[in-house]
Amino acid sequence: MQRINIAERANWRAYAEEVGFDFHTFDGEPYWDETAYYQFSLQQIEEDLEAPTEELHQMVMDMVGDITRSEEMLTQLNIPRDYWSYVWNSWNSGEPHLYGRMDLVYDGTGPAKLLELNYDTPTSLFETGFFQWVWLEEQIRNGALPGRADQFNSLQDKIEQAFIQLELPTPFYFTSVRDNAEDRGTVNYLMDVAAQAGKNVRYIALEDIGVIGDAKDGSQQFVDLDGEPIRGLFKLYPWEFMVQEEFARAVTDGNTQMVEPAWKMLLSNKGILPLLWARYPDHPNLLPAFFETPNSEPMAAGWVRKPLFSREGANVDLITTGGEQISAAGPYADGRYIRQAFHALPKFRDEYRNADAYTMVGSWVVGDSAAGICIREDATLITKDSSRFLPHIILD
Amino acid sequence: MKRSKKAALVLTVPVATLLIAGCEKEVQGMVYNNPDECSTGGWNSAEQCEADYATAKALHPQVAPKYVNKQECEADFGEGKCETAPQQTASGGSFFMPMMMGYLAGQMMNRGGANTQQPGGANMQQPTAAGAGTSVPSQPLYKSRDDRETFRTATNTPVAKGVGPVSFKPSQVKPQAGRLVRRGGFGQQAATRSSFGS
Repeated sequence: MQRINIAERANWRAYAEEVGFDFHTFDGEPYWDETAYYQFSLQQIEEDLEAPTEELHQMVMDMVGDITRSEEMLTQLNIPRDYWSYVWNSWNSGEPHLYGRMDLVYDGTGPAKLLELNYDTPTSLFETGFFQWVWLEEQIRNGALPGRADQFNSLQDKIEQAFIQLELPTPFYFTSVRDNAEDRGTVNYLMDVAAQAGKNVRYIALEDIGVIGDAKDGSQQFVDLDGEPIRGLFKLYPWEFMVQEEFARAVTDGNTQMVEPAWKMLLSNKGILPLLWARYPDHPNLLPAFFETPNSEPMAAGWVRKPLFSREGANVDLITTGGEQISAAGPYADGRYIRQAFHALPKFRDEYRNADAYTMVGSWVVGDSAAGICIREDATLITKDSSRFLPHIILD
Repeated sequence: MKRSKKAALVLTVPVATLLIAGCEKEVQGMVYNNPDECSTGGWNSAEQCEADYATAKALHPQVAPKYVNKQECEADFGEGKCETAPQQTASGGSFFMPMMMGYLAGQMMNRGGANTQQPGGANMQQPTAAGAGTSVPSQPLYKSRDDRETFRTATNTPVAKGVGPVSFKPSQVKPQAGRLVRRGGFGQQAATRSSFGS
């Protein structure tokens, strides 16, 4: 695993905007960064990332059924009691899931360590599945990279296959928060691939989703802007928010098939990390983790504290093994926390900026298969939504 | 090979709902402030006036836009122009809706198809489609805070400036009869948290 400088493609910004990737630069700071790339060996990819991703995925999938039946674990995960049976049903009726991403610490040697699962609302899908794929093809064509260079990135193929195989209501709707370019980028890409798989797709902004009450029994159903029922919905909006909002009841009343399904709220929760550690102690790809309680010791060196529900590194506090304290601010300070053993992200030298870069590997899962990786870099040990996205290649 | 055989995009623009336009013919109705005004106008019998008004009044709580607080409602419809809706939020709170400021009597088109001139789209009309057969229910009308002249439907379509006969396309004024559609019940945390992906 090496970080290698490379010249940027001449017109990549114009091209990015042409294909709807208008958030390639965020607040004047680069988000997509192709001043360098990461290079892996095929062995690193297959043995250290692909195989552990599928094993970790299988481990968490094996736990879902047990969690749905355990009052103790549902309580630990802070799942509202009103939704226990809904979550149980969504799992036991086999509601299909589409995709997820696990975030790993990996430095090129030794076992990758699982930092967390983003199994409900993962973004940066377009950047991974499309934009870094095009980057490699173009850099090969430009002669900047050898023709035998490859990439661990079968996302588009696998998502297309998933949409071909999934039985989804027609039309199938996609929703995200209005005015969020990054979330919309992921949703647009999913819609595009679904359309290529032959699905009839429609977009509705989350805020435009309507609910009607049945005149006879008062049950509720989602409707689109024309008042037509929404029978299938991909939502890029966290389950833990949905169940707290005004339309929560329409989720359980209605017959809308949700993707990701409700049982994914068990896995996008940081509480899955202590549950995993308890089930598989000393697994080489896991870090020690436990639930914080009022009796927990004060944070010590070598530990990280994360809210059960938090996104993009928000509200994460850590104390490095050397005793350095690092915190990321955020809006998720209203819930409960877990503690996880600190395992430093590998540090690389960004010569273009003459700065250090801490690098995280995001590893995608579509259905139950590993489907590629994305690389995020940050100037700190906490990866955030502002962290740069760098492409990668496989070359031996 | 560890990468996709292809990565392609086919939808370069977001999928938009196409508005249904074209050959729909216009029909006529009458706009009134109240049923008395209707009876004295002489176009309709007092019974018909009352019946249309009753229909509109019954539809009002169903179709009027709903707000979770009175201030927001009054911001759109004017101070003192909002009332409590009969529906309740999931948590038992109140909804507010604008008061009904008038109504559209939609029965006009169901009678006298032969002697009512259709003012619009004449060259597209099918002779058999004059009036009867298309039904636009009588419905409540509202007035926004910043435009006190114009009567609007519950979905904010302007219908007329002042009372009297009006022509319109039925689809423009089709109420979501018997249905209460509420929107905005998701995304409340959008105000405090800006990104939802991870």
